Amino acid sequence: MSILIKLKGIKRYYDVGGEVVRALDGVDVAIDHNEYISIMGPSGSGKSTLMNMIGCLDSPTAGTYEFEGELVHDMDDNQLASIRNRKIGFVFQTFNLLSKATALRNVEVPLIYANIPRSDRIERAAESLEAVGLGDRMHHKPNELSGGQRQRVAIARALANKPSIVLADEPTGNLDSKSGVEIMKIFDDLHGRGNTIILVTHEEYIAEHADRTIHIFDGKVKEDIANHNNRREPVPT
Amino acid sequence: MSGHLWENLRISFSSILANKSRSILSVLGIVIGVLSVTLMGTMISGLDATFERSMSSFRSNVLFVSRMDWFGGDWDWWEFRNRPRIKEEYGEKLRVQSQFVEAVAPATERSGRIIRKDRQIDTRFFGTTPEYLATNDAIEIAQGRFFTEGENRSGSRVLVIGADIKDALFDNQDAIGQYVKIGNHKFRVIGVSGKMGKFMGLFSLDNQAIIPFGTFKRLFTRRGWMNIRLKVDGDRIEEAKEEIRGHMRVIRGLKPTEDDNFALNHSSTFEAQYRAIKLAIGGTGIFITALSLIVGGIGIMNIMFVSVKERTREIGVRKALGATQRTILAQFLMEAITICFLGGLFGMGVAYGLSTIINRFFPSVMPIGLALGAIFLSVMIGIISGLIPSSRAAKLDPIEALRYE
Repeated sequence: MSILIKLKGIKRYYDVGGEVVRALDGVDVAIDHNEYISIMGPSGSGKSTLMNMIGCLDSPTAGTYEFEGELVHDMDDNQLASIRNRKIGFVFQTFNLLSKATALRNVEVPLIYANIPRSDRIERAAESLEAVGLGDRMHHKPNELSGGQRQRVAIARALANKPSIVLADEPTGNLDSKSGVEIMKIFDDLHGRGNTIILVTHEEYIAEHADRTIHIFDGKVKEDIANHNNRREPVPT
Repeated sequence: MSGHLWENLRISFSSILANKSRSILSVLGIVIGVLSVTLMGTMISGLDATFERSMSSFRSNVLFVSRMDWFGGDWDWWEFRNRPRIKEEYGEKLRVQSQFVEAVAPATERSGRIIRKDRQIDTRFFGTTPEYLATNDAIEIAQGRFFTEGENRSGSRVLVIGADIKDALFDNQDAIGQYVKIGNHKFRVIGVSGKMGKFMGLFSLDNQAIIPFGTFKRLFTRRGWMNIRLKVDGDRIEEAKEEIRGHMRVIRGLKPTEDDNFALNHSSTFEAQYRAIKLAIGGTGIFITALSLIVGGIGIMNIMFVSVKERTREIGVRKALGATQRTILAQFLMEAITICFLGGLFGMGVAYGLSTIINRFFPSVMPIGLALGAIFLSVMIGIISGLIPSSRAAKLDPIEALRYE
């Protein structure tokens, strides 16, 4: 497998009221294509910062970040926007859908920023929604959908541009356990179909879906281990 | 980018529609600004049209020898009071002496009532000579005839009535040859003048009667207000004015050190006065408009700040999904422009509606250039007042924005 993401000596310091906070303090991570990874850590450990870094929302204070050969740490805002648009699919804990837009319109958004013509765009958005089993809910607005369905819309949106990685931040955090199971099944399926997936979570049973778990503590990688359990086992409820 | 344009337009509309009352309130300043600028422009252009029409009865080649200046002469009222009256004979003297005078008509005027059986109308009548027709291009005898020099000299009791008088006293009957009364005097109607409309929208030129000067002198006071209409060469007005002033000074026996104790009026003094009025109206209009547009612009800026604040999270999401700073800037700018454009359009619509109502009382037409200019102006306001809030939105840090509650 070829290397997809390579972070080397990544540091991210914040200046908070004259005091330097070392959110990330020298992180080395390499991720291959079609890996299924979970990032774990207590709050304040730096896992959110790492996720933002991987998601190209943040730039490192020091260190190098290579994404499919592109040097992300050197990029300006517009280039980062472009990387996020083309290569990263975000799934948020709170879904973050546009409340006034239909499911289809929500999924169209990243395609619009990719300058894809309207007819293509609608077709691809619809395809994406069908892939998460929402073919019959395309014209519903978020408030007409259940939590699980909303998160599926968000996943469809993340997949619309056929990204290199799907980056999910506590994707089941706001869902009941039944919906959570459904969502995790979708991630498992996506991985099965060749997608690279990174889950950020503090739930052990969510992390267990992944093949590899990276533990972050105090801004450093504390553990980076392969999971040996069969993730296809039923998730405890 | 053009794809984004439609997308942004769509977002703008849905955002405006989602906050209807807020949008309406915030755009009120723009609406009032556009309303006042278009209405003011409409009034001015209406005024122009009226003025042009009215001025034709003054013909630019007519000079009026009068006791006082029409507008703002630098005389004091006692000085004016002491000025000698204008006499009929000046006309004949000037005709002989001046090389510019082509026609002369003394004109005197008073108001009164014309009665026919049980009908009556309050009107003004002029006493003048048959040459009057040569000094007024606007008047036209629609029926019958004007009076003759013989009738003038003999003081015949004949008169030419305006179209309004004819309508009031005779309806559709033929007025020619009929008798009417002015005070106790019986007059025979010999002519009806064609419709001329109102002068500056103020008084009707069709509600006036013309009687021979000789008759006027015999029946009414000889000491009344009078001016002498002089038709001169239209291309050499200023020269003619100077020459005639010279002759008048001689007629009046003025020493070189003495000021004129008469006035030479010309339609250009009307025009100058009119221009001053127009400037005053326009200036006030521009002031009100500028004020309400500034207030409107501040309103838009305020509402855009609110909109950006409210949608901080949305901005974060859009950035995460690949929106560049420019895209976000364009989105919010488009929203400001759209709201101002709609406000401008609405203001113009209201102004148009009002102008058609006003048109019933006072001629007013909305100039298309002004309407387009007003719309353009409101779009500019949208750009200017939307720029700061939009660039703030564009520069938001996506991580902070996503975390915003």
